[in-house]
Amino acid sequence: MAEELSPADIIAESAGPKGAPPQPAANGDGADVFSPRLAGSKDMIVTEHVDKWFGDFQALDDVSLRIKEEEIVVILGPSGSGKSTYIRCLNRLEEHDAGRIVIDGIEMNEDVRALAAIRSEVGMVFQQFNLFPHLSVLSNITLGPQKVRHVPKLEAEALAMQLLERVGIPEQADKFPSQLSGGQQQRVAIARALAMQPKIMLFDEPTSALDPEMIKEVLDVMQELAESGMTMIVVTHEMGFAREVADRLVFFDEGALVEQGTPEHFFTNPREERTKLFLSQIL
Amino acid sequence: MSEQPPIPRPDQRPLPPAPGAGQRRIVLPPHRQRARRPRSVRVREWVRKNLFPSTAGTLLTLVAGAIMGAILVGVIVFVFFGANWEVITHNRWLLFAGGFPHEEAWRLWVSIAVVFALIGAAYGTWSSFGRRDHLFVLVVGGFVIFLMAHGGAAIWSTVYFLIAIGCMYLGYAATVWMPRETSTLRTLQQRIVGGLLAISLPIVLVILLVGGEVGPRHIDGFVLNLILAPVGIVGGVLLGIPLALGRASRMRSISLTCTAYIEIVRGAPLLGWLFVALFILDDVIGGDLIIRAMVVMAVFTGAYMAEYIRGALQALPRGQFEAAQAVGLTPTQSTRLIVMPQALRISIPPMVGQAISIWKDTTLVTVILPLRELKGNADSAIAQFEFTPDRIEAYVFVAVIFWIVAFAMSRISQRVERAQGVGER
Ligand SMILES: Nc1ncnc2c1ncn2[C@@H]1O[C@H](COP(=O)(O)OP(=O)(O)OP(=O)(O)O)[C@@H](O)[C@H]1O
Ligand SMILES: [Mg+2]
Repeated sequence: MAEELSPADIIAESAGPKGAPPQPAANGDGADVFSPRLAGSKDMIVTEHVDKWFGDFQALDDVSLRIKEEEIVVILGPSGSGKSTYIRCLNRLEEHDAGRIVIDGIEMNEDVRALAAIRSEVGMVFQQFNLFPHLSVLSNITLGPQKVRHVPKLEAEALAMQLLERVGIPEQADKFPSQLSGGQQQRVAIARALAMQPKIMLFDEPTSALDPEMIKEVLDVMQELAESGMTMIVVTHEMGFAREVADRLVFFDEGALVEQGTPEHFFTNPREERTKLFLSQIL
Repeated sequence: MSEQPPIPRPDQRPLPPAPGAGQRRIVLPPHRQRARRPRSVRVREWVRKNLFPSTAGTLLTLVAGAIMGAILVGVIVFVFFGANWEVITHNRWLLFAGGFPHEEAWRLWVSIAVVFALIGAAYGTWSSFGRRDHLFVLVVGGFVIFLMAHGGAAIWSTVYFLIAIGCMYLGYAATVWMPRETSTLRTLQQRIVGGLLAISLPIVLVILLVGGEVGPRHIDGFVLNLILAPVGIVGGVLLGIPLALGRASRMRSISLTCTAYIEIVRGAPLLGWLFVALFILDDVIGGDLIIRAMVVMAVFTGAYMAEYIRGALQALPRGQFEAAQAVGLTPTQSTRLIVMPQALRISIPPMVGQAISIWKDTTLVTVILPLRELKGNADSAIAQFEFTPDRIEAYVFVAVIFWIVAFAMSRISQRVERAQGVGER
């Protein structure tokens, strides 16, 4: 046990008497603040009892999670546990079948205008980068602002150059994605998402397709982003990043949210057998 | 940014060693001059390896060489000594433009000059003339000029043709100096040349047909092939795009309609559809026979183009759609800006195959319809009493002309693919 009691430990303790079936953390207001720096923050993402089915396969099973503004959440879990499905529900690349999803106060439903508003607040970075191969790096980044936000071309390009500066590759602006290394491509993808000036960034295994020597350059950008106050949800197997940057770790298994807590809680004192098994395999 | 010293990371597993990013590809300068083997040795080596590798190989080389040599000698003897090219030179206008009025011939020349200039500009913008391209222009141009100048009657046509070739090089010179790096000016150039190419067919039709005494029924001879094929190809692509999207659509009624169109049209040969143009379309839409033939060409080609584009749509990774959605593009925007440009690029090779095929199939209008294109007018030429013995010459000429255009199409498409390759994933 750590010397200091982290909020997660308190929750774990207060969830019930020892031996009681483990409960996911309560969802009451303020009850799931995992980092003191977020004490007064508002809820940025609220998901309540979310279910997702693919045919008769249940990919998400009653997932409830509240994420604070500026919080960095890392999602862990074995393959097929529903991590991707969960974060893809947050910008409706997948439609959830039951439960509520509220992004920055906007309820996710059939309303296309609500969806447009949500998509413009949520940026996403994919494992396979998914850059547009027929457009230059600069056009990849300016496309969204120009076509969705109707930013004038020159302004969009100035913003894009700023972002390329920020991710460290301004000299690549005129190249095509195929001419860049994987790490550079992923940094362009991050810049492309940031160009829409989102409040939330979703990362789905952003470094899993990269050669080892390129992982760090992408993680550095993400760390800088985290320090700048972005709300981030990151699916990753990079335990170094999780330990150092995350406010909270969330463990998924078989579509359900099994355990959550501070990095310290996870690495020193995981509660669930499944979590322990998973961590023992990955560490 | 990768230059910064790494932030000390206490109490963790060390990350895998990450040498400075971007320094992965290490290229050393050559460290000593390596001697090349002398040319004569290399040539001897090549000949031995490729022509005389073994007894059987040597035998094959000799047999193949003998056959090719015999063919070559036969062709040369036929072309320069045996053949009577009078049938071509005497009928050059009939073969080229048939019933197109002589006094309106300037329309043809202006159209040719415009098209040549655009081809030159396109090469200057996206590619460049290589030695082989110049050679091709020289040989084909010389061939055409020889045919026109023969007998001395068509000196002016020769001059006009030379001017048209000059226009091609002008178009090339006007565009090729632009540096290829992305710049506002370069983008503007690409927009202008691309836009002109896109509307080149309507421009040519306007030059040919608007005002004066000419109408669609005057389009005749080789000019008819040259008009029918592009109309079929461009019309086919324009029809193919919505058909492909429609067939892939989630709305059953739309996808069923498009599927039915594609399958029915592909279910009968072009020959059959030209019969439809002749007999049925007359009652339904009426109109000039040439217009009906154009409609049939486009409708027919459209079904094939649709299938090639649909194949390309399916080949696009799902991540492209998702990335477009995540950036906030509407479905229409992502189709127009992300999906279609990539799908069209992927489907260039099969579409060019279809284009070459429809180019050759333009001769079918002679078979079915009372329309006279190049092959039909060649038939007329040899129907003349004094030229009946020159059947072979006439058909060889027609074949060569078709081959020249088909070959040029295939070369240009290779250039297009290569020029587009830059943005390939
Ligand atoms: N479009 C789909 N159709 C059917 N089943 C799907 C679909 N997408 C995901 N699934 C299934 O849902 C489950 C969860 O998938 P998901 O991609 O969310 O897992 P994950 O935790 O991200 O795994 P990984 O670490 O391998 O990426 C898997 O069993 C997967 O097979
Ligand atoms: Mg996944």
